[in-house]
Amino acid sequence: MGRATAKAPMDRSEAALNAPLFRLLADQLDTAGRRIVLDLGAASTPMLSMLGRCRCLVEIADLGCDGGIGRLNVEAPADALASIAESLLPEHRQGDAVDLVFCWDMLNYLRPEAITALMSAVARRARPDTLAHALIVYSERSMPDRPGRFVPTEDWKLVDHAVPAATIEAPRYSPEFLGRIMGGFAIESARLLANGMQEFLFRLKH
Amino acid sequence: MFERGKKDEGLDEGADYRSATPARAQDPGGSKAPAKSGECAVIGRSIEINGDVRGNEDLRIEGDVSGTVELRNSNLTIGKEGKVRADVYAKSITVDGTTEGDLYASERIVVHISAHVRGNITAPKVGIEEGAKFKGSIEMDQAAVEKALGKVNMQGAAKPMGDRSPGKPVDPKIGQKDMGKEAASGLNSPSGVR
Repeated sequence: MGRATAKAPMDRSEAALNAPLFRLLADQLDTAGRRIVLDLGAASTPMLSMLGRCRCLVEIADLGCDGGIGRLNVEAPADALASIAESLLPEHRQGDAVDLVFCWDMLNYLRPEAITALMSAVARRARPDTLAHALIVYSERSMPDRPGRFVPTEDWKLVDHAVPAATIEAPRYSPEFLGRIMGGFAIESARLLANGMQEFLFRLKH
Repeated sequence: MFERGKKDEGLDEGADYRSATPARAQDPGGSKAPAKSGECAVIGRSIEINGDVRGNEDLRIEGDVSGTVELRNSNLTIGKEGKVRADVYAKSITVDGTTEGDLYASERIVVHISAHVRGNITAPKVGIEEGAKFKGSIEMDQAAVEKALGKVNMQGAAKPMGDRSPGKPVDPKIGQKDMGKEAASGLNSPSGVR
């Protein structure tokens, strides 16, 4: 995305972030029973703890691993990007349609065309009404040069465990723009968080 | 082919297992006898296996294995040098190396920071150390785990699973040598319980 700068990195590590929409999702998971959850980021034991209690099947894409973000951000025709996006998702198990998607701040690191390809690929393996949760850099003009490692705390807040790094320019996608590029997912609700990020819930349209 | 080492003793990183005497040659009691307590077999770094690996004793893989690995009642460690392209069935699996294939364990699976795992994990307890590379699905639901293990004829593996509680994450810092101590230490309790 943007060019790296020498500016001091935005510090969002180790501070537990109150994310009401995530809390809402967690509460629903507690009562909804078994779900299939796709996490576009890396696996973490706290996340497995949370989802294991709800008997969830967890699919881990870990797009930040092995250059996945760079591969998605290439300038290529839509069908080529669709193939790349499909290859970066975990092998789809027949009959296991996704119910919930955790994007965390992964979308901040993708070009609009890459977001469309990725979320369209996710939509193809998801049930109607599937929810996607995302954290978008909104107030700050810069962001760390790599995605955070957000993990849930015991009281359903989110902590970024990423090591502080250099910063790059943030795309600061607006809600209106995101609503047009999310590959079939429409904005359900949004909240501005204390760290200047905006928390989004998207719902897959029928 | 299989080399035997004292578990967690003499298996230090960088140790040269290639010079060890093959385990079967040391075993006058019969080739089907399981290892003595505290010992495990080792597939050394220079060993490459294409085919099925089956056994009834703990095993550490530092070499290359393609095919199927089935250790119904035993623990498997895939060391940092180990490369496994196989579906793996064991009582417990600890991964420090590279795997491509599905991992099934009747007790637990731990993926350490040096690991690179691509495939699906099925076990009642799973731990992923922060920084480990993993892409695939994780199934910890007890009923689903039993169903999956039943499908691969693992009903006889380990003790019966009477606990129908939800799946539990494992502290990935627990090593092989700590197996059996987790109940006393309480390290296996879900950390995310409100």
